Amino acid sequence: MNYFGLIIGVATLLIIGLGFPLVIQGERRFGYLWWPYMMLIGIMFIIASLFIQNDWLSVLVGVLGATFVWGSTELKEQAVRAELGWYPFNANKIKPPLENIIKKWRAPHL
Amino acid sequence: MYRDQGRGISMNFIGMVAALTAFFSVWFGHVAVRKIESISPTIWIPTIIFTALGILTEYFVLITDHWLLNTALGILGITLLFDALEFTRQQNRIKKGHAPANPDNPRHAKILTEYPSATTIDLLEREPVGYPSTMIH
Repeated sequence: MNYFGLIIGVATLLIIGLGFPLVIQGERRFGYLWWPYMMLIGIMFIIASLFIQNDWLSVLVGVLGATFVWGSTELKEQAVRAELGWYPFNANKIKPPLENIIKKWRAPHL
Repeated sequence: MYRDQGRGISMNFIGMVAALTAFFSVWFGHVAVRKIESISPTIWIPTIIFTALGILTEYFVLITDHWLLNTALGILGITLLFDALEFTRQQNRIKKGHAPANPDNPRHAKILTEYPSATTIDLLEREPVGYPSTMIH
């Protein structure tokens, strides 16, 4: 019996679970316009996983990266949820660098 | 045990495989649960199918020694098991009006009559406006 994949699967579920508060708190404090930065952090984590020789650590860092990339695609919908009153709305969000450029891009949603 | 002759010397692809599997499994589950819950007359049938698929996938994980296949299937199987739970969570979203009900589905039609908050409108199908706006659909 090889338990590596099963344990990795459960660990992945726990890391993806971290994505929920990450998106909720991230949108509330910073706003959905930070999505390119969140996506970039995720991509950097995934690239970093390529250079980690320990399999367990490489997988955990890779999945953490995937969680950030997925979270970046959820920020826009979370912003709408907060505007609808389903989550607390914060009017004083921290604006992202290059906000005016990011506003011209269509935020991803899958 | 988890390595094979295809593995590079300086690069470890197991994290990349895990990341891609996690991302696409979550994406598939996200779309599939919403679609299937919307058209299925019951939620217990898809719940049982996804649970069985998840258990079957994890069984293959336990008997597979290929390091990349083991990782990818391990993540996919657990995602399928979580999707099985998501059918109930999605139905609760329909009851609260947080996801659109399908009036052509008898189960959803019943929810629409029993839960005043249920709606056929997808309230999330719009761009953010930057202020609280319950009236904008």
